[in-house]
Amino acid sequence: MSDPSLAPALYACVYQPPLADSACSAANVLTELAEAFSPRYERHGVPLVIIDIRGLDRLIGSPSTIGGELRREAAARGLRAHIAIARTRTAAMVLALSSPGVRVADAGQEAEALAPISINILEKLDQDLASGSTLQARGVPVPTPDARSPKPADAVLAVLTRWGIRTLGEFAALPSADLAARLGRDGLAWQVIARGEDTRPLVPSRADERFESALELEWPIEGLEPLSFVLTRLFEPLSTRLEARDRGAAALHIELGLVTRERHQRSLELPSPLRDVRTLRTLALLDLESHPPAAAIDRVAITIDPTPGRVLQHTLFTRPHPTPEQLSTLLARLGALMGQDRIGTPAQVDSYRPGAFEMKPFAIERELQPQSSQRSRSSQNGLQPKNSAVSACSAADVTTALRRCRQPVPARVAVGGDGRPVRVTTDRRGFAGGGVTACVGPWRTSGEWWQTNTRDRSHASEGWDRDEWDVALNDGAVYRIFRDRSTEAWFVEAIVD
Amino acid sequence: MPLPLRTPAQPETPRPDRESLIAALAARQLDRTLTTSLAPIDPADETAIGATNIPSLDAQLGGGFPRGQLSELVGARSSGRTSMLLQMMAAATTRGELVALVDALDMLDVSSAAAAGVDLDRLLWIRGHVVSNPGLCRDMNQRAMEQAVRALTLVLQAGNLGLVVLDVGEAPAEALRRLPFTTWLRLQKMVEGRQTMCVIVGNEPMARSSAGLTVLVGARQADGASGFSPKTDVVSGFSRTKTVGKFSDRLFEGFDLTARVVRARMRQYEDSVASFSTAVAHHV
Repeated sequence: MSDPSLAPALYACVYQPPLADSACSAANVLTELAEAFSPRYERHGVPLVIIDIRGLDRLIGSPSTIGGELRREAAARGLRAHIAIARTRTAAMVLALSSPGVRVADAGQEAEALAPISINILEKLDQDLASGSTLQARGVPVPTPDARSPKPADAVLAVLTRWGIRTLGEFAALPSADLAARLGRDGLAWQVIARGEDTRPLVPSRADERFESALELEWPIEGLEPLSFVLTRLFEPLSTRLEARDRGAAALHIELGLVTRERHQRSLELPSPLRDVRTLRTLALLDLESHPPAAAIDRVAITIDPTPGRVLQHTLFTRPHPTPEQLSTLLARLGALMGQDRIGTPAQVDSYRPGAFEMKPFAIERELQPQSSQRSRSSQNGLQPKNSAVSACSAADVTTALRRCRQPVPARVAVGGDGRPVRVTTDRRGFAGGGVTACVGPWRTSGEWWQTNTRDRSHASEGWDRDEWDVALNDGAVYRIFRDRSTEAWFVEAIVD
Repeated sequence: MPLPLRTPAQPETPRPDRESLIAALAARQLDRTLTTSLAPIDPADETAIGATNIPSLDAQLGGGFPRGQLSELVGARSSGRTSMLLQMMAAATTRGELVALVDALDMLDVSSAAAAGVDLDRLLWIRGHVVSNPGLCRDMNQRAMEQAVRALTLVLQAGNLGLVVLDVGEAPAEALRRLPFTTWLRLQKMVEGRQTMCVIVGNEPMARSSAGLTVLVGARQADGASGFSPKTDVVSGFSRTKTVGKFSDRLFEGFDLTARVVRARMRQYEDSVASFSTAVAHHV
């Protein structure tokens, strides 16, 4: 669910020290307070709540401003809470437990912010972990301690006290290897906490909202055109809900109930968070065009896996790219037209096999910066004046390319006395061939011969053992040809172009 | 006796001045045919020109290939057209642009593209089903060609790509000839006004008057001449020029090539010739 393109993580911890009235009421007030700021919060056993406030800086302001706002809201609810804000959940919690008021740890300075705090704070954290079971017994969802949760801190604290360790900073500075040798994994786990590092992500107490919608049809429908109206009707409220929650669809699940009592299910992984009704409907219809249901439809259900919304800031200095909606639609249309395996981004593979490559899905979510040196070079090129009809010859600045025949063309090659090709002809129209005017080779390559006896006899897994030649023919064409050493057959593999 | 008809005196219409005439011609896209007074393009304007990063060619083209026009890169087999195309694609991806390649015959060599400097992450590769030797399956091949053109249309409709290429370099001539001529006019209309360079790579010119720029690639003679006679090549349908690669004792080293502008909207660039060489990346 986390999107790396979003702002960095930011957590606020609100801790209410024990009051005269019941802790349960304070915990409920804290929950209300957390819900007023973010749907992603984590309740703990002691009256303490950790709120995921990532992105609130665009709405409220700096972390200090958010802390002030939290404090004002808590005061309005009758609480005098400790509030801390940090990039890690653990640092925020330790800071809130240790001191009143509003504390903000600078980004990347979490360990420094915790350093002066007494190691006795670990006892409070220990109580918090232990009280989780109490809340669970009352039906309140709390994060389950994972295997990495340290055991009670008493024993560790006793040893640390004997060593003369007084603060979290001194504890954090101890060599980890030596600490593990003496205190085991528990000691290391407590040290990670002392450094303000998180050992697990935030586990929201409130389950994520489900985005699903279904419609029972009075009359079964056949064909995709009437289905598009039904899909629009289902997508519109879902899109509105996604927009209200600042969410986008990461995946789309369509379940069609058929009159034959069968279910036709399709799932679409979307390349970027989307919530535009027309785009979602088009993508769904394009997929169903490729995978049509076998019978008439009497029920349509849609489920959307939500993901945080996309924040996109266009700049004046980079070239605009297609929007994710345009790109998703384009890829879906191209996939329906050409076949899903025929579109994408090529990638080189770690193999010596000639012409080896793989296809990856095309995505533009990551922004690659243009190379400034190349850019300046191209600008200079553009500014060169046109001074003559025939320019001076530039240096070899273009790489010779191949046009590769995916299926090598069988060829007849006449070989001279020295073993060099003297004539290349094929039966393939367009590859008439001719006499060889120049040639270089042979270059012998072989590989993956150890896979030839496996069951998988596909072309990609077969071994190769061959002699390659680059030949220029008298018609001006230059080919890369090879002789398969196992069959003694010749093939044209590529055109040098 | 009928009265003689009297025609009222026609008011004398003012003669249009030169600017309004040029504007009217430009509106009907007849400007290139009848005038040569197109406004010059600033070679430093990256929104109007896409450099190929071949310095000699860019200098002859006034900065590079024009955006918003249908351009052609024409050459015979082993003429260096693919090397030049990959260089253009590398230049575009270096500028941060996205490139789409509709590879009608599925002949792209990925290693060559990487060696040329193409940022593969920015390349949308659409692999077609056209075959160079359809045999008895000509209709199927024709459908595959139309499919490739349809894919090109979809990519152009999406917009905001820096370079869109249709590579029909080894396609059978009859498959291309059976495409309606309006195809190229439609593509030209689609790309007009956009910041996209649309390039068609082929054996011979296809788009004719729809093309904004046609560059013919061929061999350079040993004495440094261009390798084709400007007048006869245009008239006689771009006769194939033999390309001779450079061979050393043990290696194929590349080509010495020339690229000649045989058609350009900006007429001052027509018949200009650029020379360049290609070198083999030895791991390809």
